[in-house]
Parts: sequence; C-alpha cells; structure tokens
Amino acid sequence: MNAVRILPTKELERERRAARRARFTWIAGAALLTLALTVQPFRDTDVWWHLALGQLITTHGIPAQEPFSFLAAAHPWVGQQWLYEVLLAGLVGAGGAALASAVMGAVAVVALVTAALAVPRAARVGGLWLAVGIVLSGLVMAQVVGVRGQVISLAGVAAVLFVITRWREGRTGFVWLLPGLFLVWANMHAGFVVGLAILAVALPLARPLAPATTLARKPLAAALGVSLLATLVNPAGVGLYGYVAETFMNPTITQVVTEWMSPDFHNVWVQLFEAEVILLVVLWVIGGGPDRFDAVLAVVALAATLQAQRNVSLFALIAVPQIALYGSRAWRMRIAPHLRGRRIANTPRAASLLAVAAITAVAAGVATTVVPRLTPSASAAFESSRYPKAAADFVSVHFAHDRLYTADSWGGYLAFRFPQGRVVFLYDETAIFGSAALQRYLDVHLLRSDWTSVLSSEGVQHAIVGDNSQEASAFHEIGWTIDCHDAISGSLVMSAPSVPPSKVSAPLAVPTTAATAC
Amino acid sequence: MTTMAEPVVRAHARSRRWLEELVSPGGLFVSAVMILALFPVTSIIRDPDFWWHLRAGQLIVDNGALLGTDPFTYTVSSHAWTMHEWLSEVFFAVVQRAGGLGPIVLVLSVVTWIGIVCILFRAAMRAPNRFVLGFGMLLAVIAGYPIWGPRAQMITFCFSALTLLLVERHLVRGGRAIWLLVPLFLVWSNLHSGFIIGLGFIAVVVVAEVVGGRLGMPDSASAARVRTLIPVLIVSAVASMVNPNGPGILLYAFQTQTSAAQQALILEWHSPDFHDWNVLPFGIMLVSLVALITANRHLRARDAALVLVTAALALQSVRHIALFVAAATPVWINQADLLLLRRRGRAAVQRRPAAMPPLRLRVLTFAALAVTLLAAFVAGRLAPAMRTQPGALVYAQEFPVCATRWLATVHRPLNIFNQYGEGGFLSYQLSSKGDKVFVFGDAALMGDALLYRYAAVEAVQPSWESIIRGAGTDIVLFDTGTPLANLLAQSTRWKNVYHDPLSVAFAPVDKLAGLQLPPPPTSYPAGDPCSQLKVTASVNGGAQNQ
Repeated sequence: MNAVRILPTKELERERRAARRARFTWIAGAALLTLALTVQPFRDTDVWWHLALGQLITTHGIPAQEPFSFLAAAHPWVGQQWLYEVLLAGLVGAGGAALASAVMGAVAVVALVTAALAVPRAARVGGLWLAVGIVLSGLVMAQVVGVRGQVISLAGVAAVLFVITRWREGRTGFVWLLPGLFLVWANMHAGFVVGLAILAVALPLARPLAPATTLARKPLAAALGVSLLATLVNPAGVGLYGYVAETFMNPTITQVVTEWMSPDFHNVWVQLFEAEVILLVVLWVIGGGPDRFDAVLAVVALAATLQAQRNVSLFALIAVPQIALYGSRAWRMRIAPHLRGRRIANTPRAASLLAVAAITAVAAGVATTVVPRLTPSASAAFESSRYPKAAADFVSVHFAHDRLYTADSWGGYLAFRFPQGRVVFLYDETAIFGSAALQRYLDVHLLRSDWTSVLSSEGVQHAIVGDNSQEASAFHEIGWTIDCHDAISGSLVMSAPSVPPSKVSAPLAVPTTAATAC
Repeated sequence: MTTMAEPVVRAHARSRRWLEELVSPGGLFVSAVMILALFPVTSIIRDPDFWWHLRAGQLIVDNGALLGTDPFTYTVSSHAWTMHEWLSEVFFAVVQRAGGLGPIVLVLSVVTWIGIVCILFRAAMRAPNRFVLGFGMLLAVIAGYPIWGPRAQMITFCFSALTLLLVERHLVRGGRAIWLLVPLFLVWSNLHSGFIIGLGFIAVVVVAEVVGGRLGMPDSASAARVRTLIPVLIVSAVASMVNPNGPGILLYAFQTQTSAAQQALILEWHSPDFHDWNVLPFGIMLVSLVALITANRHLRARDAALVLVTAALALQSVRHIALFVAAATPVWINQADLLLLRRRGRAAVQRRPAAMPPLRLRVLTFAALAVTLLAAFVAGRLAPAMRTQPGALVYAQEFPVCATRWLATVHRPLNIFNQYGEGGFLSYQLSSKGDKVFVFGDAALMGDALLYRYAAVEAVQPSWESIIRGAGTDIVLFDTGTPLANLLAQSTRWKNVYHDPLSVAFAPVDKLAGLQLPPPPTSYPAGDPCSQLKVTASVNGGAQNQ
C-alpha cells in the first residue's frame, strides 16, 4: 500500500514555491545553455545586404527598386523586412556586429522558451522536461539561427503557439495580442504567413484543454481577421503577399538556394533533426497519443522540412512544447510507476538546489564560450576568413565603381561593401530578382554555353571568385588575369584583359606564386 | 472418424473460397494493381552500371576465372577487384550471348515483380481489407518508382522482401520453411552485395522482438520462434561466406556504406530530393505512415524497428527507398486497416457483401480483365523493352552510342577521360579494342582518392587539367553543356574533335598529331539512330551504383 503524505498548509506552500523555483531554474539553465548555440557571428551570407539596406533605409528611406545590382530585377523592391533591416543597422551602429549577434541569439532563445511555455498549465510539466525540449530543439536549429530574419519568425511562431494554448485553456483575452504581433512581424519577415496558417489550422482543429468547456472560436476568428488586416499595414500593402508567393513558389529559387533544398541526411545536424522526429513520434505513442492539433502541426512541419531544410527550425520550435508535454506524460505513465519506492531525495527542494548548482556551472560555461565570440577582433577575424574582405579592400582601391562578378553567396557582402553605383552582380534576394536574372547568373556560375556572352553583355570586367572555383578556372581560360589573392578567405580578384589573348599556354595554378596578396 | 473424401472436400472448399476472394471487388482491385505493377518495373536498361557488369561477365566467361584487378581503367588498373556480383555478371553474359538484352530485361523485371508479390503476401497475412491492401500496394509501387528498372539491385529488393516474408511467416505460423533462408543467402551473396541488408533485417527483427517483449509491446511473437531465428541468422551468415571472396564479402558490403566520397559524389547515395515529383510519393508514404502509427498507437516491435531502420536508410540515400518499400508497405497497410476498423467498426467492415453476379460470370470478368491488362503490358511495355538493342535511339539518347561508334574507328587504343555514368557503357563497347576509361561505376574499386580527383575535374576546379593530363589522358569525352565541356570549348590548349547532341570530345593540341583521330562523321544514313539524335539535357552527370 502506498503511504500518503499529508503536509501542513505552510509546508505545502513552501514546497510549491520550491517547485516553481526549480522549474524556473531548469528553464533558465536550458535558456543559458542554448544561448551558447544561438549567439553566432555573421554566418548567414544574407545578413550583409540586409545590413546595407538597413543603413540605406535609415538615410534615404525604403528604395523603390533593387538598389545594389546592375542586373535588371524582375520586380519592384518590396521592402518586406524593412523593420528588421533598420533594427539590424541600429544594433550594428550602436554596438557593432557583437551586439547584433547577442540580440539575435537572445531572440532565438526567447522563442524557444516561449514555445516551452506553450505547454498546457494543467499538464503540470516539470522543469526538467521543458529544459530537455529547449536544449534538444536548440541543438537541432543551431545551424539555421544566428543573425537572420528567420529568427524573428521563430519568435513570432512561438508567440502564436503560446497564445493558442492560453486560448484553449479558456483565457480568450490573449488572442488580442495577435494583431499587434502580426503588425510588427509582417514588417520584419515573410514568415508571418506561417503564423497565420497555424491560427487557421487551430481555429477548426483545436480542442479545449480544460475539461467540460467549449472553445470560444469567434474571438480567435476575429483576432485572425484583424491580424490579417494588420499585415497589410506595411510599405507594400497587399503586394506583400505577391512577394511571399514568389519566394515560396519560384522553382528556380527552390532549386538553386541551398536552404530551400531537401535536407541532406548525411549531415550530422540533420541527423539530429531526424532523431528529434523519431523521439517525438515515440513519445506520442507511449505518452498516450498526441492531441489532434499537435499532431497536425508537427506532421505538416515535418513535411515542410523534407521539402526545404530551412524549415528544420520551424519543426524544432513546434517540437519544444510537445517533447516536454508528451515526454512528461510518457514518464508518468511508463517509467514512474516502476520507480515507486526507489525515490532518492526527489523533493522539490533538493531538485531546486541541484538546479541552482547546475545553472551556475552552465552560466560560467556559456560565458566563457560566448563572450570571446563577441569581441571586435573575433568579429573581424570571422569576417576576413568567411568573406572576401581583403579582396573587396583591393577592389575598392583599384576598381571602384566597376562592375563585379561574384558568386551569389558573396554578393550580399559585396552589396554591403559597395552600396553605391550598382556594381554587384546578384545576391540572394531572389524573389525580387526573379527567374530571368537568376538564370543569367547561373549561365556564368554553371559555365553554361553562353557564359562568356553574359559577361560581355553585362560589361563585367572584374570578379571576386573562390580560388578553387569553376569560375576561376574558366575566367583564366579566356585570358583573365589574377590581380591579387586573398588567401585568408580563399578568393581571387580577377580582371578581363584589354585585348583577348590568342593563346593561354598553361592552366590556372592555385596557389599562385605570381599574384600578389590582396 | 475421417473419411478419404473429407480432405478432398476441404481442399475443394478452400479453392472455392480463394476463388471467391480473388473475383470479389476487393480481389479484383488487388489483382489489377498487381498486374499494373508490371508496367513501372519493366523498362529498357537505364542503369549505367549494367554495361560494365555485362562486360565483366563476358570477361569472366571468356577467361574461365574471376578478374583479379580492374581491366577497364587507366587510373586504378592495379586495384584488386572484389567481384561481389560475379554470378549476376556471368548470368548477364551468358543470357546476352544466347538471346541479346531481351531475356535480361525480362528476368530482372520478373524478379522485381516477385519482390512486390512477396510484399503483398506479407501484408495479406494479417487479412486486411482488400481495398486497403490494394491501395497500399499501389502506393508502394508508385513510391518505389525512382528505383524500379532492370538492374542487379532488384535482386536485393526481391530477396529482402522474400526474407521478410519468410521471417514473418515463421514468427506467425512457425514451421521449418525459415531454413530456406540458408540457401537463399548462399545464392544472394554471390549475386549482389546487398545480402548484408537481409542479414541485418533478421538481426533487427530478433532484437526488436526481444526488447519489445520486455516493454510489453503488442502482438509479440513467441519467444521460441524468435530464438529459432538466431541459429538461422548465424548459419545464413556462414552460408553467405561461401563465395569467391570468402568472409571478406561481409566487410566489402560495409565499405560502400561508409565511403564518404561515394555518399557525397554519387547521385544515388544522396538524400531524396522532395522537390522531385518521382520522390514525392515516398514522402507521402513516410509522412502518412507516421500519421497512421500516431493515430493507432498499436505497433508491433518488429514493425517499428523495420520502419525506423529502413526510413533512416531511405532518407540517407534515395536508392534505399526500395528497402523502405519492401519493409514498410505491410506496416502501412496494417496501420491503414487498423484505422479503418476503428473508424467504421469491425461489424461495418465485415458486413455481408451485397448480392453479386454468379461466380462463373465473375471468373470470366476477372479473366478478361487479367488477359487485357497482361496483353497491354506485353505489347506496350515488355516487348518494346526486350526488343531494344544497345545501338537503338533510346539508348543513344542516354549513353554515348554515337561517340563510341566514332571512337571505335580510331586505330590505336585510347585513354578516355569520361563522365562517371558513362564509363560502363564505354568499357562495354570499347574495352575489347584496348581503350581504357578514367572512371566507371564500381566506386569501391575506384577508391575515394580517384573519386575526389574525378569530382575536382567535373567541378572544373583549377587542378582539372593537371589531373587529366597527369593520368595520361588522350581524349576527353563528356556530355555537351556540362561546365567541363564548355570550359574546354574556350581553351586554346584543347581541340574539339567530335560532337553530337549528347557528347563532345576534346583532345590536347600537343597530342593531336600522335592520336591520328579520324574526322567526325558529317552525316549518317537515313534512319540511323545517330541521325535522329536529339538530347536536351545532360543525363549522366552522376551515376547509380550497384
């Protein structure tokens, strides 16, 4: 027979407070630990053109046309992320790249914690399971967060999940947070449509979380309608949705841009995602089965991730509250009964003390990991190694205002370095450029049969290309010469000859001894 | 007391029940699906590796012994060759000499179809609703579409499905038929190195049943039957070592799975691209299976383990979709059936069928349907695929048929830098003349170092020319429109010596005189495949690997 411990009211209250503290401590510890993953240097190549645009908007307002490239863009500039870009420029202006890295890392962590808090209160999910959900999903999404607009959308999705759970608990007032959220979100990142889609799915599918209650669906429907209207308050108005459709539907984009491709399951980070999917399904099955809305959300996110690997972060975020909820349930149903009678000092107070000790250790570890990344010298070193900084310095001195060819992944950096005079070929704002411009870029990048004619018709005389790239080999064959070699980033500055040579007698040799360092 | 007539009566009743089942609406649907499954599994030979397998088989038959080293390349000719598919290769060579490519197409198509039949039998053991069974089989056939076709890998697909059928039958009914696995593995390990998958399946089932039994998962098999699988597994593993390569064959099978170069460079080892419409049905099957398992929450341990293992394999490499189809289709059908039962209630599902026409009429209808579909299959699919010979236009659109005809007129043996996926065809057509290729589809034989060198040239990295020349290349034969071909077209050190809509050839200017290349043909006789050739895209950039 199990003994029932009856505690006096004061002691009960003390234990409850200790349990709350333990829960808080677990979440805080997990958030701190995740911060070490989400605070990243400017790894995403798009950050540079967003930054350049933010600086441009700050001084001249939102441009009407694409402002950096000499290619003809198919569509007018939408300025969909103008608020994010201005915020980014403000952060970099105020505290350099380090401040932007720290803030965006913190936003990602806030998204994870908010998602974790979207578990139903009545489920009484322990802090440990919330921490497991946060840390596991933090690991899964580590490769696709950092300083990028998508992080804003993750925070938005987390907020939507939180609001939906509160609404399902009968706290209908929370739904009126949504219009404000979407007003800001629609001006920061196109991922707001995911939030709208989640609400549209919740409206018919979600069931009340409190027993014997009915869901007030009308307020959510009204809030969704107002939110939809709020998204139209942006520089492009209803044209915003055309931009979003172009981004999602353009087949050239989904074939060319790596993060829109299907995930490569040989990659260890993708295998982590795979493991999280398996864990979630196992927890669903042994945890008594998932709620209908949870299952639909996760399965759709899984399908979306199989289509485009960038959605791995969306799946990971949606998985946070579900791993916590169903993990906790599975534990109570399957494991805890076997552990009865074997409890070892498992009181909330002991757990609280253990968690405080753990969080102190984690904070120290995270501080020693993150702080060195945030120094100006670390940012500069990262920029020099990942982007053609020295090559761009050389170009700014010798070929200022001349058109440059570069791979799209460096195009954004060059847009930041050369925001004036439209000298950049193409960068990854592919929805604006459209398929025709993308194909012209691919003609050169993939050395299609007309690659030389594209270069000459666009009047390109100089290039910054990878020293091991196909472009370097090909440009050499038509007589281009190496102006300088940036060995740190692995890039070459190359220029077209004034008179095409009749014969190129030897293939390109890299590393080249003849070329000067940039 | 039983009379002599009782067994006869029982057998007659069984036959009648079976016939009733076959010509019921559900039975008709399943039968139609199974006949229709013949269409996608039958085609001309599209596997680029088939050709070097065939040539290797011819050399084995001619020499009366296996080949010790690589006979086809000028780059890794000293590499020792583990001929893990020697029996398939000999079979291809013997059959091709006797009757051309047609019988090979027929046999491999039938082998694939038998694999699908094994899946059907395994799924049918749990007596699902016949429409669910038919729909599940249809989904499986569509999901496996990217992989179907005459190729040695289909032997592994078929034997995997047969292994799973025998294991399932043993766990459900017992008996000694499970020992048929031993001769199966003896043959399989000499036909294709994928036999390791079969051994893996048995091991996975044993472990899953032991663990599942302890966790109290539903419908566990009896412990005694699970225990029987252990000696079967051991004896089968020993039997698989009876081959010309001995126990080394077990290690060889793992090599391809662990080679970073193969996983990174060979298309078939890549993860599935879910933007490709051909792969989408696999995605639908996978996601819907997850949804069904979640909805039912009733899954046997061995089913869970097989689904997990094969889904992980298929997500790693598109070629493993066939294994997922073999292992997961019966689970999908069972889960869909469970869901149907839950939704409609067993009584509703098993309600009395509506009045149907007399049995004889239904049998006639069934026969007419089957004959019509089979006739359409034979006339529309099988016969054209069997008739097609290597010089035909359809092959010329996929392989360098016309270029090899021109190369065959060169008097001296050539070292040809080739596209990975065309090395097999070039070896098949030109190795008897003494021509050698840079690389062909036995990636394990080529080795990671050569594969990386090839990839550097294909990606036109600055080292491309030193790799080509350093190997002793006489001529580069590549698909038109590829970066390498377009780069060579711009180079002043290389001369374009041949081109057709599929292929283009370049020779080094400084070697040109010594090569004594004939001029490329300016015209072909009317009706010649090379005069009709029209190719719009590169088809052999990457390759499949057996």
